[in-house]
Amino acid sequence: MTFSLTLSASDLLLLLPELFLTAWLCVVLIVDFSFKRIVQEQVAYLTVLGLTITLACLAWFDITGITGTLFGKMFVLDRLAIFFKVMILLATILVVLLSIDYVHRFSFFRGEYYFLVAMSALGMMFMVSANDLLSLFVTLEFATFGFYVLVSYLRDDMASNEAGLKFFILGVFAAGLLAYGISLVFGETGKLVFSEMSGAAPTTGLVIGFLLIFAALGFKIGAVPFHSWIPDTYQGAPTPVTAFLSIAPKVAAFAILLRLFLVALATFKPAWALLIVAASILSMTYGNIVAISQRNIKRLLAYSGIAQIGNVLIGLAAGTKMGTDSILFYLLTYLFANLGAFAVIMAISNAVGSDEIEDYSGLNRRSPFLAFAMLLFLLSLAGVPPLAGFIGKLYIFVAAIKEGLYTLITVGLINIVISMYYYLIVVKRMYISEPLDSSPIKTTGPLRAVIYVGLAGTLVIGIYPQPFLDWAVAATLMFSNFVAPSASIIPPPVTPFGG
Amino acid sequence: MAEYTLLIILFAPFAGALALIFVSNRQLSLVRGIAAGSAFVSLIASIYLFYSYDPLKGGFQFIQRIEWSRQLGISLHLGVDGIGTPLVLASSILLFAGIFVSWHIKDRIKEFYIWILILAAATIGVFMSLDLFFLYFFYEMSVIPMYLLLGMWGSHTKKYLEMTDPEGLKQRDSVGFIFNFGANSKEYAAMKLVLFLSAFAVVALMGILLIYKFSGLNTFDILVLREQAHFSGPLATVIWLLIFFGFASIAPIWPLHSWSPVGHAAAPAATSMLHAGVLMKLGHFSIIRVAFELLPETTREFMPIAAVLCIFSIIYGGLVAYYAKDTKYVIGYSSSSHMGYVFLGMAALDYISLSGAVIYMFAHAMATGMLFAMAGWVYDQTHTRDIPSLGGLSNRMPFISAAFVIACMASIGMPGTVNFIAEVMIIVGSWNKYPFQVVVAVLGIVLTMAYLFKMMRGLFYGSMAEKYSHSHDAVTVIDRLPLLIMITVSISFGIFPGHLYSVVRSGVDPLIARITKVVPIAEHPMNSPHGASPAVPLATSREAIVKVTPR
Repeated sequence: MTFSLTLSASDLLLLLPELFLTAWLCVVLIVDFSFKRIVQEQVAYLTVLGLTITLACLAWFDITGITGTLFGKMFVLDRLAIFFKVMILLATILVVLLSIDYVHRFSFFRGEYYFLVAMSALGMMFMVSANDLLSLFVTLEFATFGFYVLVSYLRDDMASNEAGLKFFILGVFAAGLLAYGISLVFGETGKLVFSEMSGAAPTTGLVIGFLLIFAALGFKIGAVPFHSWIPDTYQGAPTPVTAFLSIAPKVAAFAILLRLFLVALATFKPAWALLIVAASILSMTYGNIVAISQRNIKRLLAYSGIAQIGNVLIGLAAGTKMGTDSILFYLLTYLFANLGAFAVIMAISNAVGSDEIEDYSGLNRRSPFLAFAMLLFLLSLAGVPPLAGFIGKLYIFVAAIKEGLYTLITVGLINIVISMYYYLIVVKRMYISEPLDSSPIKTTGPLRAVIYVGLAGTLVIGIYPQPFLDWAVAATLMFSNFVAPSASIIPPPVTPFGG
Repeated sequence: MAEYTLLIILFAPFAGALALIFVSNRQLSLVRGIAAGSAFVSLIASIYLFYSYDPLKGGFQFIQRIEWSRQLGISLHLGVDGIGTPLVLASSILLFAGIFVSWHIKDRIKEFYIWILILAAATIGVFMSLDLFFLYFFYEMSVIPMYLLLGMWGSHTKKYLEMTDPEGLKQRDSVGFIFNFGANSKEYAAMKLVLFLSAFAVVALMGILLIYKFSGLNTFDILVLREQAHFSGPLATVIWLLIFFGFASIAPIWPLHSWSPVGHAAAPAATSMLHAGVLMKLGHFSIIRVAFELLPETTREFMPIAAVLCIFSIIYGGLVAYYAKDTKYVIGYSSSSHMGYVFLGMAALDYISLSGAVIYMFAHAMATGMLFAMAGWVYDQTHTRDIPSLGGLSNRMPFISAAFVIACMASIGMPGTVNFIAEVMIIVGSWNKYPFQVVVAVLGIVLTMAYLFKMMRGLFYGSMAEKYSHSHDAVTVIDRLPLLIMITVSISFGIFPGHLYSVVRSGVDPLIARITKVVPIAEHPMNSPHGASPAVPLATSREAIVKVTPR
């Protein structure tokens, strides 16, 4: 193994978004330190500006079709990576806008908050480009460090500290699993790059190694049985951080899962498909059933998030090109609906000072706009037409039925009905119950902007999904080479990976 | 312009709902104007559609096809045949009438009109979808507005669910009892409705997904699937059962009906009208459109299921309606009882009976629409729906009581109303195949008379309690207009059913020909001018006999 570390100008071009963002973040930090008079809003908008320029740069890459690999294939910039980076940047921009009102609650380090958010985004941008096990480990930890700090940012709040501690301990545990898994896989195959691993002979060490890596990534996406940190962390963390946590790391981890399962392990699909099916069924069922009894909206969305991830895993279990398309598309619809819902939660929490579902009573009378927005976001999460979530769910089901995953689809369909119940409980509070306090709720500009973006995304994708579907399909073209394993390489069913 | 008729009918209510979002609740007349205007556009377009649909040509007309997703093989494919056309007309009539029925709503009227417009538009969308995806899309879209309409503007059902018979014994809605737990709130009714409908909608969705997979055509287009997809064996059975029970729950067939009367009782008047008038017909229509069109052989084999269940629907619904004391509960159960007739007409798989079933759907929409509108009026005036405590209202509301009598007559199926024609066609058409069911159905008509007369007497005749002496009749044009429209439609089609019959027949004929595989349609005994027609007075109309070349 030799690493070529000579970089030409064209190589640097591939890294341009990350390099630019790094430089911009330094500028943000310096500006924040040097000008005593600067207020946190200005830092926020400066961060948004940098993120938007990066987003524009990536859009330019996507249009012109600039792709390539760097550092001996450690870093890859393909259309898949671009798709995920765009999603992460979009989520980050919305989260920064969400945070502006909330950051007043922090007694100090207000400016650094934005730096940390954007730094996590930078880590996740590297993460979706990770193409071998080493860069996987480094980027995944890089992306998570920012979150450890962010989750416990409310320094004087016990819940936030508890959330941070839980997240940290389980995160570090996951990191340990990941490192161990990587070492096993490397020991067995002698390879680090995903695409070079694809023909490896199945051995026990390799199986255990990959299981450990899957477990570590399972922590990141919050699939059952690796979900235990999610509810407390979501509830305790500052709400904008919860919003960020609920979408960006999951999106990034899915990029890795796709590369890992559909590139490195493409030939063992029958074996790992069972694993994914099990995780998917457990996540959907557990998430939805436990969500029913929640009284706190952040916890409700935490459990609903677990269930949503179960839905996304259906697409992975299908393991086809169409399955990956549907995952990308679903995550996009989930991004808009989820961040929109968190924006409404922020607006209400700023006015009422609580996240209890009971305090949503009569929201329709207090703020028809917020109630209507929340209604659409929740219905999109539930998968009701004509909203984006419905198309996302249907796309995943269609991808899965083509592979004949009937049990999985049946469970998924039943879960739609279960989820309908608890989303409608919130709707009932907002629309049917009488308000406890009838003073109108005001929404500030940045929050309103996020809600508008969420509504636009939810409705436009729901009513006219074709461009977004095309984009997702174009982003996953690389997988058409890897999936569709020929029958001869499928290992015997009894000991799938041999001895 | 003419080729865009369907798009106008479908999108006028949506456009109205969209426009209402930007209007303040305080501009009352503007809110009402937009709602009524968009419903009116939709109504005019569907009247045009109904009269310009060419029954001699038959098949799907006014077709619109807009590519929607290449990857999934979905297009917004709209078109109506002889079955969809009258139902689209019924939906837009009921929407228009419903706007006026709810004219005096005080609380959040803008939101009310938004949701009712979306509900009606979604229903209309189902009736014109030629794509399985969009059929499901609009079907599922009609559920959530129901939740909000029931929850926000509905009324609690209180003790009304506990029915007592004359001896004071408690009669429980047997299946309902399992799910009731004594909950009588409107929230409960709304949630039950949504969960029932969603649960069975996903059953139907599973059927649709199986059709999509096993046709191997990568399309949801009903016309393409009808030509090219063939299902047989256990697979066809599974798909058929999923589709049938998935959609029959909204119809609602016994024993999946318990959400429906509770929903009716809790809903505001205009919502009950749309719910009973057209929403329930989505079930029958979707079964016809999906199961009959795509799985003709299996339909022939399994449709007897409906023939068995429809007896329970008719008798059970009728008995509960007889003992119920809440006006809306009576009408709600009468609706679910009457839907049994539609199932009987469908189960016989006969030209006359299926045509009768489709006309019955149209006729029932008008009759039950009137009944719910007037039950709503009486409730608004007296604030109770408890029949025993009411009485003698005909002195205070002569117009309403007269209209109520007409509506009851229509509902019973008195000659002169379109219901009569439909009932006779169902009974005559299914006599050959299901004589026992026909006897039950005729008994059901007697039962209908019993409970409707009982309710009529209880509301409008006898002595009136003093506290209701301030109740008002419908005097203004706005208040009378919806009833007059529905009465006019019901009676005029009862006297001149020619066009309605020929339109329906042009849709039914190719369908039944496919299912029964009777090739020479013109020589079919039912279809010859001297065959079954003497029993069916309207069939003698020359233009009614449509020659259709079977595929």
